[in-house]
Amino acid sequence: MELVAIFVTAILINNFVLRYFLGICPFLGVSKKIDSAISMGLAVTFVMTITAAVSWVINHWILIPLKLDYLQIVSFILVIASLVQLVEMFIRKISPPLYEALGIYLPLITTNCAIFFLALMASLRDYSFLESVIFGVGSGLGFTLAIVLMAAIREQLDLADVPEALKGAGIALIVAGIMALAFLGFSGMIK
Amino acid sequence: MSTKSIGQEFTKGLWDENPVFRQLLGLCPTLAVTNAVINGLAMGMATSFVLIFSSLVVSSIKKFIPSQVRIASYVVIIATFVTVADRFLAAFFPPISKSLGPYVPLIVVNCIILGRQEAFSSKNTVGRSLIDALGMSSGFVLAMLILSAIREILGMGTFLGYQVMGQWFEPWIIMILPPGAFITLGILLALALQIERKTKSRK
Amino acid sequence: MKLSTQMVVVLTSVGLLSGSFLAIVGHLTKERIALNKQRETEKAIIQVVPGIVSSQKLYEERDLSVYGGKDAEGNIVGFAIQASGIGFQDKITLMLGTNTSLKKINRLAILDQKETPGLGAKIADSEFFLLYWENKDSSGTITLHKPAVSSPEELLPTEVNTITGATISSEAVLSIVNTSLEQVRKIIKEGKLSSEAQDVN
Repeated sequence: MELVAIFVTAILINNFVLRYFLGICPFLGVSKKIDSAISMGLAVTFVMTITAAVSWVINHWILIPLKLDYLQIVSFILVIASLVQLVEMFIRKISPPLYEALGIYLPLITTNCAIFFLALMASLRDYSFLESVIFGVGSGLGFTLAIVLMAAIREQLDLADVPEALKGAGIALIVAGIMALAFLGFSGMIK
Repeated sequence: MSTKSIGQEFTKGLWDENPVFRQLLGLCPTLAVTNAVINGLAMGMATSFVLIFSSLVVSSIKKFIPSQVRIASYVVIIATFVTVADRFLAAFFPPISKSLGPYVPLIVVNCIILGRQEAFSSKNTVGRSLIDALGMSSGFVLAMLILSAIREILGMGTFLGYQVMGQWFEPWIIMILPPGAFITLGILLALALQIERKTKSRK
Repeated sequence: MKLSTQMVVVLTSVGLLSGSFLAIVGHLTKERIALNKQRETEKAIIQVVPGIVSSQKLYEERDLSVYGGKDAEGNIVGFAIQASGIGFQDKITLMLGTNTSLKKINRLAILDQKETPGLGAKIADSEFFLLYWENKDSSGTITLHKPAVSSPEELLPTEVNTITGATISSEAVLSIVNTSLEQVRKIIKEGKLSSEAQDVN
């Protein structure tokens, strides 16, 4: 089933963080504690899914019919910026503590390359509406998976004896490299 | 207002405030397109183009932009120049455009550019913003060059496509794959931090 | 000027300026970009259908296009089938050159692949892989010969070579070829191959 392939591929085989190098900033920034990692991951998944839907509509109902495809980059980024703004206001109303916990990282979702890349890829690969949405959900979950795994490892690393210079970003990237290596093993899963 | 000299305004981007190695910004493209030197350089140039022109525009019109809409305005300005760079590459350098793929449009979310508008161009003169942009761009290109050189030489035995390692060398394919990128950058960041600490303790 | 008015004015002007600037840039580069794409496809078609002077697109759907290669008199002497499918890592796009009855494969060219460098990526290599696809018999199903052989003479006309250490990539290419041949045969039977479709050059 094509949809299942897109979904599984997005999470495991072409994981947005470990294969396409997307979302590294939040990946390094929010992956220190498992709780914030899960919240960030789910927020990103939510924004990604809606972005996939909205950008598909804008792309196929406005940009392409009017031959305005050179406005894709500008349109997509505006869609994402507005959506993040809305999500921010929404979370602030519904759950102030969650809003506090996510702090600066919420508006930072706007510059999360993963979301923008998602919109671009769905357009490039000419996905249908349903395929784009599934792609959004899958990629978001893949991002969440990577960031939660990283947080779990880093919580343990905090107790270990890491050389000074490697502390922080250095060791995090090396761990990411090893994770990427592991995920390479998922290639070829889908025939 | 900045108290740095013009020279310092430029050189800070190369080392002290190097966007990649010290500020840890713009890591997505840094990891993605540094699998070969030509790709790293091309991406570096494209990003520099966007950074320089965005900084020029933002710095010129900073007085007219109300604070509440500044991020949105910066983003539109940046996105415009990114589109220009993307179209230009697709039209005149198709093979490079193909190798860099969707990462050129991704320049629009490169934290370096938005970060510089927010931190510098919106608060400084056009002249200084230009120098700052040039410095940051050079630092970025330098970082891309170092990372892609390591990955290409160890991963394929070539530099810019020319064979530099002898026949005896069995390429470390892992270097051109994602794990290689992560690990190389991790080690380089640690090195940068170590050098910084050593020079600080000596001062 | 009131703040909210100023906000609207600024955003609108920035948007309009950006839009018009991009419209100009888009217009200037549009033709060039389309031309580049066309040239790339043309090059691949000529590579897989030898001896033609022009080509014409006969059919297009997602992940499958059929081009006809024409000789100097304008007769179609072969087909170039552009097909995409999933490989080991990502999508593989290839161009297959056949004769008009689809019973013989002239050549195979790989247009786009993201397989493992040094292993799966060898499918784009003539010496290791593509050479073994030349002049193959496609009247039935083509099969993969395992283990890999070192010269084309060791293969049957219906067999192609595997790349050692890259079985899945090799199988993926085979699968794309077999599937697309089947699809094109069906399209021809249903009479969907159009000669009014746009010219490639």
